[in-house]
This record gives sequence, structure tokens and C-alpha cells, in this order.
Amino acid sequence: MATDTGNRRRQRLAAYGLLAPSLFGVTVFLAVPIILVIAFSFLRWNLLNAPEFVGLANYVDVFRYEGAGHALWITVLYVLLNIPLQTALALGMAMLMNRTGRFTSVVRVLCVLPYLATPVAMAVVWQWIFDPTNGMVNTLLSAVGITGPDWLNSNMWALPVVAFANIWQYVGYNMLFFLAGLQAIPAQVYEASSIDGASRFRQFLHITLPLLRPTLLFVLVTGVIGSFQVFDTVYVMTKGGPGKATTVMNQLIYTSGFQGFRIGAASALSVILFLIILAVTIAQFTYFRKRTVYEMV
Amino acid sequence: MFINQIARRTAYVLLLVVIAAVFVTPYVFAVMAAFKPLGEIQSGHAWDLPQHFTFDNFTTIFGEYHFGDYLLNTAGVTLILAVGQVGFSLMGAYAFARLDFPGREAIFWGYLMMLMVPNVVTMIPLYVMMSKAGAVNTYWALFLPYVFGTPYTVFLMRQYLLSIPGEVIEAARLDGCSELRILTRVVVPMARPIIVTATIIAVIFGWNNFLWPLIATDSNALQTLTVGIANFNSNFAAQWNLVLAGSLVALIPMVVLFVVFQKHIVNSVNVSGASR
Repeated sequence: MATDTGNRRRQRLAAYGLLAPSLFGVTVFLAVPIILVIAFSFLRWNLLNAPEFVGLANYVDVFRYEGAGHALWITVLYVLLNIPLQTALALGMAMLMNRTGRFTSVVRVLCVLPYLATPVAMAVVWQWIFDPTNGMVNTLLSAVGITGPDWLNSNMWALPVVAFANIWQYVGYNMLFFLAGLQAIPAQVYEASSIDGASRFRQFLHITLPLLRPTLLFVLVTGVIGSFQVFDTVYVMTKGGPGKATTVMNQLIYTSGFQGFRIGAASALSVILFLIILAVTIAQFTYFRKRTVYEMV
Repeated sequence: MFINQIARRTAYVLLLVVIAAVFVTPYVFAVMAAFKPLGEIQSGHAWDLPQHFTFDNFTTIFGEYHFGDYLLNTAGVTLILAVGQVGFSLMGAYAFARLDFPGREAIFWGYLMMLMVPNVVTMIPLYVMMSKAGAVNTYWALFLPYVFGTPYTVFLMRQYLLSIPGEVIEAARLDGCSELRILTRVVVPMARPIIVTATIIAVIFGWNNFLWPLIATDSNALQTLTVGIANFNSNFAAQWNLVLAGSLVALIPMVVLFVVFQKHIVNSVNVSGASR
């Protein structure tokens, strides 16, 4: 009895000791910053002068002067360009490559390679490929008699090109999740429905998609969260330009915070972005929960 | 019937070849360009082999533009970050998975909530905190926010540790092992796959991280590869030879990592997918 409580106390002490570093990290570098960013968003502050409490003025000002509305619109546009295409491609590629064979597995591996590549480095490569005068894309186009646009300096094309670079970077990574999901579907389910005379398309609609829902939820949620935060590719390829054609929220947070030193405005923008990401994530979970019959982990 | 099968097979292989080309071509062209003089990049086609094969681009970026410093900084930060993150996360994960203590549920829920915080949201306050602490523009700033373990890694490892049979740990405990000893002698050997996975995740993150190093440093001596390339790109955008050579330098270690740990990387994605 005595050793038992001694054991328990020792275990308790060990637990707190083992937990201490990560608890310290999570508190100081995540929880405290969350509280601070909300507090900062009510201040007018450039880090040098004394901060001044301005209430909700930053939230009004970022829309009035900083172009928050436009940046939000561009961000949403980017997410809409990015997510459906990337998800559909990833799923299509996974279904295509969901079989054994040496060649297939080599191609699978090649598709994942971009996920590891530094986005900054790849952004440079894409910038070069889309260069108007000696880039690969326009050289190819001119070979068939088309004069290609100045992609990254075009109001119309800059955002799609950035989205393209990101899809290329992450589609293979998402494909892996779909592959894992597909492999978890028992073959008998398909066999049974084949006997019942179901077409491939009906099988996809009534078996594959419903059973892939947890994977789909995961890919969509992480993809949407990531896309709302897009920065590296935009910063390197366009710096938010031409004009404000690719100024996404994150680019705006960066410029107001770290170039303009408007800490309050940048914090307000961060809080707005956070609330939007949170709302979209919750919406996705609710939607999927309603439509998923079985337990989701 | 037979002809049909061959046609299908051919179409399938062709489709895969096209997909492979889409993913490989940018690398191939970037690698070739890195060995071409600037004039050749600008006048020729991307698909031309280098006519005047040269290492000059690399000697220039390392000789004149501190690329060696960037490489060392990145490697150092990534190493510290990965060791700390994996070690401290494993400690936390062990406590959550295998030890009984008051407040366990509440603290774990706190971690789960922090899992949902997007990276950018904390950037401004992190910068202010670091700047008040005098850590901006020091080596510390680059790894401190990530070195103590992340909720994601703790969560990932906890899920894995839960699957280790409890009898093994109980037996060690009855033998009088301290918890730290159990962790290092019993748990670590059994948790090797998840340790490799978490290390890979941390290394990829550390190596490719951009926004935070961009904010936290502005002196040349402290810059990381990603920031170096981005600055390089805006200062010398016309000098594709140098910028592409720099990008290639940043890519090589990750590609090597991938080739060596290919199976683990694919598995690690599956693991993190299964633990959603």
C-alpha cells in the first residue's frame, strides 16, 4: 500500500517533468501569442512609441485603408482556384495509381517529390519557366504560333499561375492520403456491387466517395487551412503584384506588420484570417458529420 | 478483346509518363540551367543540354554571396529544431499516453485546441515577444518557437505510444526502473518508426520554413537558405543562373533525404492521415 502511493507520486512527478518542456513551448509560443494577437489588435502601435488603445478602430481601418476586403477576396479566389482542382486531381491520380507494379510505384514517388522541395526554390523555378521572353511555357507557345502573355505581370494570369505552382507542389502529397484511403476499402464491396451490375461510375459515386469521406475531410480541411495561409509562393513569384492582383491576406499581414510596423493593423488582419479559417473548418466538419453515417475518428 | 487490352495498357502507361513528366521536368530543366552560363539560359531553350557546362554559378554564389553561411545556418537550425522537437514531444507524448496524473485530460485538450491555430496568426506576437526579449536577429530566434515540441508531434506520438502493450512498461516499472529509464530503454526502441516519422516531418519543416526566418532575421550572417534565395531572387531576378543554382543547393539535401527515407516518408504521410 505504501509503495503503491509512493509509486503513484513518483509517476506523477515524472509526468510533470516529462511534460514540462512541451507544455512550456505550447504555452509560451502558441497560447500566449493567441491572447497577445487579440490584445494587439485593439492597439495603435509601431513598437517604438507607447501603444495606444483604439478599440475596434483597426478592424475598421484595415478595411478602409489597407485593402483588407480586396485581400480577402483574392485569398478566397485563390482557395477556390486551388482546392477543388487539387483535390480532384489528387483523387484522380490516386485512383489511377491504386494498383501494384514497379512503374506505377515509381511514378507515385515522383509525384510526392515536390512536397519536399522548398516552396521558395520551386517558386523561383516556376518564375523562370513562366518568364515572358525566354521561359519554357512561352517558348513552347511561340513554337505553335501563339504569343504567350507576361504571366506573372498580368492581372488576369498571375493568380492562376501561383495557384498552379501550389497545386503542383502539394497534389502528390494529397494523393498519398487518398491512396491510403482507397486501400482501406475492402475489395469485396466492389465485387458485390459488380455482381449486382453496378457501372464503374455508379461504384465511384456510391462506394468510393462515401467510404473516402474521412480522407476527403482530412485532405480538404488541411488543404483549406494551408491555402488560406499561402505566402511563400506569392512572396517569391509576385510579391503580391502586379498592383494588388495577388495580394493575399498573409502578404498583407506581412507588409503592414513588418514593413509598415503597424502592429495593431497586422494583428487585426491576423485575427480576421484566424476567424475565417476557424469558421470554414467548423463548417466543413459539420457538413461532413451530417453526411457521414458511420463513426468518424 | 486482346487488342483492346493492349490499347488500354498503352493508354495507361502513356498517361503515367505524362504525369511523371509534369512532376520531373521542372527539376530537370532547373538542374541543367544551374550548369549553364547566363547567356545560354537567356538565348537557348530550357530543354537544351548545357553547351558550355560550368560550375561558375555555384562558385559565384558560394564565393561572393554567402551561400555557404545560409547552408550552415539552415542545417544548424534544422538539426537543433528536429532534435528538440522530437525529444520533447516524445517526452510529452509518453506522459499523456502512459502516465497517470491530475489534469491530464484538461492539458491534453489544451494541446488539441492549439493544434488548430494557424501558423501565421502567432507571427506578430511572436515577433514582438522576441523583439522585447532581445532575441530578434539572433540564432535563438530561428529555432526557439519550434524546439520545445509541437501539439501535432505530441499528438502523433501519443497515438503511437498507446499501441505499445502496457505489460512491457508495467514489467519494467515492477523491476524498479524510473520513468525516464523506461522511456529511454523500453519506449524509444519500440517507438522507432514514429520517431523517424516525426524527425522527417521536423526536418522538412525546418529546412523549408520561410515566413518566420524572414521576419526574425535581417542580417546576412543569420539568413537561412529560403530567405537567402528569396532575397537573391528579388535582387538579381535577371540572373537566373545564380538564382537557380541557389535553388538547386536548397533542393539537393531534401531530395537525398527523400531517396534515403522514401518508404518512411510515404508511411509517415499514411500515419498522419490515419491519426486524423
